Amino acid sequence: MKNIYRPIEGTIEDVIVETPTIKTFVIRPKEDFSFRTGQFIELTLPGIGEAPFTPSSDPNIKEKIDVTIMNVGHVTSLLHTASKNTAVGIRGPYGRGYPLEKFLGKDIVIVGGGVGLAPLRSLLLALFAEIDKYNKIVLRYGSRAPSDVVYKNLIPEWAKIDKVDIVTTVDVADAQWQGNVGVVTTIIKDLPADLNNAVAIVCGPPIMMKFATLKLLDIGLAPAAIYLSMEKNMSCGLGKCGHCRIGKYYICKDGPVFTYEQLKDIHDIWD
Amino acid sequence: MPVVKDTDAKELDYYYQPLRDEMPIVYNAYRSVEPLKSFFTYTNEKVADYFTQEKNITDIPDKTILFGVKSCDIAGHKVQDFVFLEGVEVDSSYRLRRQNTIFISGDCTDFKEVCHCLAWEIMPYPTWGFDLNFSPLSDGYLVEVGSGKGQELIDNCQEFFVLAKETQSAARKVKRDNLVDRLKRHLLPQNLVTKDSVQKLVKDGYNLDTWKEFMLTCVECGGCNFICDTCHCFLLADKKEEHQNQKVRVWDACLYANYARVAGGANPLKMRAQRLRFRYTKKFDFFVDNLGMPACCGCGRCIEVCPGKIDIREVLKDLAKRLNNK
Repeated sequence: MKNIYRPIEGTIEDVIVETPTIKTFVIRPKEDFSFRTGQFIELTLPGIGEAPFTPSSDPNIKEKIDVTIMNVGHVTSLLHTASKNTAVGIRGPYGRGYPLEKFLGKDIVIVGGGVGLAPLRSLLLALFAEIDKYNKIVLRYGSRAPSDVVYKNLIPEWAKIDKVDIVTTVDVADAQWQGNVGVVTTIIKDLPADLNNAVAIVCGPPIMMKFATLKLLDIGLAPAAIYLSMEKNMSCGLGKCGHCRIGKYYICKDGPVFTYEQLKDIHDIWD
Repeated sequence: MPVVKDTDAKELDYYYQPLRDEMPIVYNAYRSVEPLKSFFTYTNEKVADYFTQEKNITDIPDKTILFGVKSCDIAGHKVQDFVFLEGVEVDSSYRLRRQNTIFISGDCTDFKEVCHCLAWEIMPYPTWGFDLNFSPLSDGYLVEVGSGKGQELIDNCQEFFVLAKETQSAARKVKRDNLVDRLKRHLLPQNLVTKDSVQKLVKDGYNLDTWKEFMLTCVECGGCNFICDTCHCFLLADKKEEHQNQKVRVWDACLYANYARVAGGANPLKMRAQRLRFRYTKKFDFFVDNLGMPACCGCGRCIEVCPGKIDIREVLKDLAKRLNNK
């Protein structure tokens, strides 16, 4: 009988330093494992603890998964000390992920903040793999500072892809920064997209998601066309442990991706 | 498992005990102190080991008979079954424990001050969800069979049973009706919130001061959560025991300060009033939407256990009062 709490084993195959506080871990699962973009996993440090993360890699690649992790808590700080060949546990994948079938033929506006670009990288790679099916991909990405920008080398490569339009910004610039300065909502304007045929996907810190959502509503997107990647302290991932409840939903099983239409009448969703 | 009386308490308390020869079995007049869930998930238990060669085989639990289950317990346990047996995945150890357990329930013949099952339209005698149900009569017990497992048990011990007479069925009805009448007389003056109105009440009362005021005496012990028939929250933790990596499931309580805390320190339920409200919206809003019933069976255990004297009946009544005065 299946034990739903038992993680499979994986090995950290590579560690990529993204920023002073963010690393991408390339993990090779020892058993078959696959996920749909936007679903999340519980990553276990054996005998120590586990935490939820949404993979940042292309879901079409089955043998390896990338997980981009910011050093913020107990498990993540220990993960940041992990080197190649460290054994980790993987449970999942959990939740519903991004409904790509609803994005077909659409102009797709993607708004990311900080390490929130990690799940969005997985989404972007899934979209790039079948780019003929989508009309346009517009990425707006904001970071606190130039040193906090993740996937620095990948973003210029993505920008070269036909049908892809990328603008980035930082809240606070440094001497070298040549680009936009200001919070991410300042670059959600004059989007090269047909907003009557668009969906928007938002992922980032709660305060950024709140104001990005309000801005998107303001420029004319419908609540049902705005997709939000929500996060709480998911523990079991299975809709049983109770922790990640918002209103009538569990983020782990009913999300983590919700439309704003689903959430708009629930109290305190940005807390 | 018989149930024994604690004769020192003001109101008698009943506890489940493993059956032993020297211990007299008593018929409990109302529900036990422990919630029924404590036989199916434990406060702290290993639920998996991992990175081991052999595949995990869930231990087959002993066949267990629980004697003394009450109607409120059965109603509340529907929530546990919903959580662990339904949804995206089935919890296999819970299912095995459930399959290997027989419920022998019994009509309530009395009630505690805190009992308020009728407020949630739960009768003080079980009508479903048992394997066998006992109704005490003057000349023995009228036993109702509720399942195949219950029938099997009867078939195997035929020497103890005779077919009930119609007069005995009628006598059961009289006893049941009398108890319902007594309980109604106890509850009517309390003017309790009703099953139909509670969801709207909790929703409309989201921003009322009720939550803040009732939390003034909360000591954050989590007792209300742990003693509750329907509360089911847990945390999965990891530990290493003699080189074996283990997942451990520990009961958790939404009244605890760190219940909703995320990595990095943000806490959407920072204030105690938010946590009390979270508990009530879970019971009276979430479960009405997801299971079609409020997750309270009126057993009153949380009222008895609370050192801060926070009374679920009073919290709901206060919401109603404030909304009416608006």
